[in-house]
Amino acid sequence: MNMFLHELKVNRKSTIIWTLSLVAIAVLFLSIFPTIEREGEEFKKVLASYPEGVLKAVGVQIDSITSFLGFYSYVFLYIMLCGAIQGMNLGMGVLSKEIIGKTAEFLLTKPVARKEILTSKALVVVTSLLITNIVFMGAAALMANIVAKESIDYQVFFMISATNFFVQLMFASFGFLLSVLVSRIKSVLPLSLSTVFAFFILYMFGSVIGEKAVRYLTPFKYFDLAYIIRHSGYEAQYIIIGSIFIVATVAVSFIVFTKKDIHTV
Amino acid sequence: MNVIEIKNLTKTYGNARGIENVSFHVEEGEIFGFIGPNGAGKSTTLRTLLSIIYPTSGSATVFGKDSVQSASEIKKDIGYLPSEVFYYDRMRVKDLLNYSASFYKKDCRKRIQELAEIMDLDLSKRIDDLSYGNRKKVGIVQGLLHKPKLIILDEPTGGLDPLMQQKFFDLLKEENKKGTTILFSSHILSEVQKMCDRVAIIKEGKIIKVEKISTLKESNHKKIKVETKVPVDVDFFDADGVTNLEATNNTISFLFSGNINLIMRKLSEIELSNVWVDEPDLEEIFLHYYEKEV
Repeated sequence: MNMFLHELKVNRKSTIIWTLSLVAIAVLFLSIFPTIEREGEEFKKVLASYPEGVLKAVGVQIDSITSFLGFYSYVFLYIMLCGAIQGMNLGMGVLSKEIIGKTAEFLLTKPVARKEILTSKALVVVTSLLITNIVFMGAAALMANIVAKESIDYQVFFMISATNFFVQLMFASFGFLLSVLVSRIKSVLPLSLSTVFAFFILYMFGSVIGEKAVRYLTPFKYFDLAYIIRHSGYEAQYIIIGSIFIVATVAVSFIVFTKKDIHTV
Repeated sequence: MNVIEIKNLTKTYGNARGIENVSFHVEEGEIFGFIGPNGAGKSTTLRTLLSIIYPTSGSATVFGKDSVQSASEIKKDIGYLPSEVFYYDRMRVKDLLNYSASFYKKDCRKRIQELAEIMDLDLSKRIDDLSYGNRKKVGIVQGLLHKPKLIILDEPTGGLDPLMQQKFFDLLKEENKKGTTILFSSHILSEVQKMCDRVAIIKEGKIIKVEKISTLKESNHKKIKVETKVPVDVDFFDADGVTNLEATNNTISFLFSGNINLIMRKLSEIELSNVWVDEPDLEEIFLHYYEKEV
């Protein structure tokens, strides 16, 4: 518990900053919704003049963009991108910073098992992300209430919003695994940024060519937001695969970390 | 009872040398020195003992328990001071020490205050505002605050001024009197001589010798260098106990072990312009043991 609380405190500032950033993106984007709604037909015409590939790559679906949930799911792609960076950073940093800052030795000479160290670290990642998402959803819902004239299906709204948490967990667990496998991570941010953007580009690429297989490869494609709007539900197979991925990466991280030498100098 | 028992401990890192077949034991209540030049494998041995790294082969027990299997249990009663102290920079000293204390299920507040007072450490400062020496002090308090039964020190004196070193050694001796066992690694012979009961000498990953300090002192060598006013025949110094005899111009140097009066009498017979009498540095001592081994 002491490690958990300590770690939570260490991550407090970054969690606040990330949360505020996500909220800011949502507020910014959603504040232009009234304009889009008012001039819907004009807007659609402008969009229609763009090449189809570009629209697909940036996640625009013309027929639904002027409805609130349609617009929100378009905006949400970028919130998810930002969220993914947070998740990856957090997952990768929570262990790496002990190695980079050479404080690992401090923990490892304390009477705690390595798996206890990892457990508290992992729990901090989940807790921080959970806090971020709860605050974000509250703020986004409030904003939705302000900008949308139509009545919003809040169940679907929250279902869309919750996907961020899941995608963040996938990136966080991937980062967690990397931090255990890669022996000398010098700095977390460049590595996490490039990884997240690689998957994002894969997402754009997959959207343009319409290749189904890509959906399994990039977490950004695990949730088809249009599907969620149509069916008020998730596609089970992606939830299952995503969950397996998370459990497997965390399990491997535990196995590797409890057996490996920690080089602190 | 042996507090530490190391048996044929080997640790290799790919191509780099680690340690090879290291075996020694540390008895309860003794101050045991672990001495060798930089890179000889002192830290590797200590880290393996603390299961920060794992042995390639061989084993170690602490308090009679396997150092890998019972790692976290053993560490309840170990205090460790690393050679380089790294802590969470943004924390205050007080918070760091409280965090450290929170790992042990006992109230350490009083001891923290005591130790901070002895070591003259300002608890309200931030870690990143501290000098190297002051960080070291944090390390010392951190390593002792839970009243460990075994203290492991990895080159502990670096960065401490002589006064603080003395206070620190006094502190260790006091702990030792209460029954605490101390394992002390160093590359400075004099500090080991001052502190320890027995010493293990390690070189290039192998233990060369485990010896009582008192025995080591008996075979104490002096490094003597003289400058003479007129050239003196080198053979003049070639006596029992003289080794490594070298001469250039008017300067003659050699190692001497034996009755110091004999050599002093010899020196008084010639006209000197200068004389240096030094403790031989560690390399020379090692060389001495190394030659004996071969």
